[in-house]
Amino acid sequence: MSDSLSNAVVSSPLPEAAEPSRISKPAGGPWLRGAGGLVLLALALLPLVAGGYWTFTLGICFAQAVAIISVSFLVRYGGEVSIGHGVFMGAGAYTVALMEKYLGLSLLAGLPAAAVAGGLLGMLFAFPSRHLSGIYLAVATMALALALPEVLLHFSEVTGGYGGLYVNLDAVSGLSRAHQQYYLPLAGLVAVVLLLRQFRRSRQAMALLLIRTSPYAAESFGVRRSWARLSCMALSGSIAAIGGALLAFSSSTVSPNSFTLWTSIFLLVGSVVSLYSMSVLGSLLGGLFLTLIPLLLAGAGDWVPILYGTALLAVVLAVNALPASLRARLGERA
Amino acid sequence: MDDLIGLAWSGTVSGCLYSMGAIGIVLIYKSSNVVNFAHGNLAGLAAFLVFGFTAGIYGNLAWGPAVVLTLAIMVAVMAASYLLIAPLVFKSDLTSTIATLGVGLIMQGLTQLMFGANVVSLDLPIPAWRTQLGPLPIDAYDLTVLAVTALVTAVLYLLIERTRIGIAFRAVSANPFASRVCGLQLRRVHLFSWIVAGVLGLVASLLIVPTTFLSSTSVASFMLQAFGAAVVGGFSSLPGAVVGGIFIGVVMNLLSFYVAAEFSNTYLLLVILLVLNIFPKGVLAARGGVRV
Repeated sequence: MSDSLSNAVVSSPLPEAAEPSRISKPAGGPWLRGAGGLVLLALALLPLVAGGYWTFTLGICFAQAVAIISVSFLVRYGGEVSIGHGVFMGAGAYTVALMEKYLGLSLLAGLPAAAVAGGLLGMLFAFPSRHLSGIYLAVATMALALALPEVLLHFSEVTGGYGGLYVNLDAVSGLSRAHQQYYLPLAGLVAVVLLLRQFRRSRQAMALLLIRTSPYAAESFGVRRSWARLSCMALSGSIAAIGGALLAFSSSTVSPNSFTLWTSIFLLVGSVVSLYSMSVLGSLLGGLFLTLIPLLLAGAGDWVPILYGTALLAVVLAVNALPASLRARLGERA
Repeated sequence: MDDLIGLAWSGTVSGCLYSMGAIGIVLIYKSSNVVNFAHGNLAGLAAFLVFGFTAGIYGNLAWGPAVVLTLAIMVAVMAASYLLIAPLVFKSDLTSTIATLGVGLIMQGLTQLMFGANVVSLDLPIPAWRTQLGPLPIDAYDLTVLAVTALVTAVLYLLIERTRIGIAFRAVSANPFASRVCGLQLRRVHLFSWIVAGVLGLVASLLIVPTTFLSSTSVASFMLQAFGAAVVGGFSSLPGAVVGGIFIGVVMNLLSFYVAAEFSNTYLLLVILLVLNIFPKGVLAARGGVRV
């Protein structure tokens, strides 16, 4: 018995078991919390001074941040990488748009529906690869991301084809449209972060982390690996769909062009740049990176992928070069 | 029936190219446990370099020198790509796989920067010869692809079965820890597999261009079929990659002819999901359990 155990350890040469210890403490220190509070306060007051351009851009940035969190969630809790999360975003965005088009319901009704749709899609999608290693999931997510635009374009009577759909209904009365497009994504982001903080203490989160640390121990405690994979994908897909729904609302439009393979890859870049953070601050950093760089480089679009790629490599290599103790502290902030 | 045979034939031909792409992905995965998501972008850059050297953008070379020059550049680029992510390879498979996406983004940006986002056409120096063999329409392109694939596979087989570096490759993919104990240099084996994969990618991307066209994203989406082929073959089996490539080529061709042509990526997704359910370890896998 002990022989085969040691064998198992040796034959997986790169145990990624060291990672979950980085997530072992839920919240950061008092300094970081204070900074987070200040940033939130500043963001809440910002529309009083900033113009419509900035509130619009930041609204989109908040929605992106939610989607980035969904990718980070999958990396942290599942140890999987997805390059197809644009699809779950798309599912959320189209759920909101279609509910407005056919049922006349606003974002407030569309958002829960989007979350459910994203979760179901995630589960459905992870089911075939539930017993297998993560590489299959990663490759399948890539095919998923490429397949989505084809499907959307084919059903163009429903989805509006290339032109997409508009999201125009007010979600809250008594607030100007521009402010709604700013505050609702912000509220969504904060809500997602708080919920995830709560989730971190739950039984399910423990089970997911245990299975990353030691699949054998987890299985002997009765946590099935296939269930972990399914639930992880479902939760992550649901968060991504919330992000997509908020994005649809804050940009007033959905179209197949916003959910391509590139969208998904960029989400992963944002997640890496934010150090797979699950906090408001970290995910905002990733969101800002994704929304501002294309604006800053508007005249030199070809540099965007180069810059994103370089940033991804730089962050990954820099984190890797840090001493282990520092790296552990970075992880704790989540 | 004639339709069916013709479709299966042309599917086999493009399937050979998917196999070549898939072999590269599997080689890298077997030796270093990294899924190289940059494979398509790297191969796309290679095809564009040949285009640049033959079409007067960076020179007006003949085909032979252009390919040799590109080959040299690709060897350097693959080595550089591996060295970039080399610090991560032994620490975390997940992180190194993510890092290959960074490499892919850079390659994609470079391709667009150097050659623009336009669609270009690249003609291979293949004679325009065709014949009809019963129900089979055969032309020089088909024969070239089959011959090149056979040649490349044979060379690769000899390389892996007969040379020292090939034996080292097999040892490392079977058990990296034991190979290191025996004094093998893992980095050298990794480098070997990355470079061979780059060469295969160059050949495959050049040969696929006549059937489609060349744009900054076309080769990357061709490589998606190669990823599908690798999954069908079980991801860590070289013969599996070949079988998977031909399978994907034929199935895609039949589906786009008999169902609808605009869903190629959707079919691929469905095939991947279906195969994962029926043959979780690939079509050529030996069934076996794990000792606990």
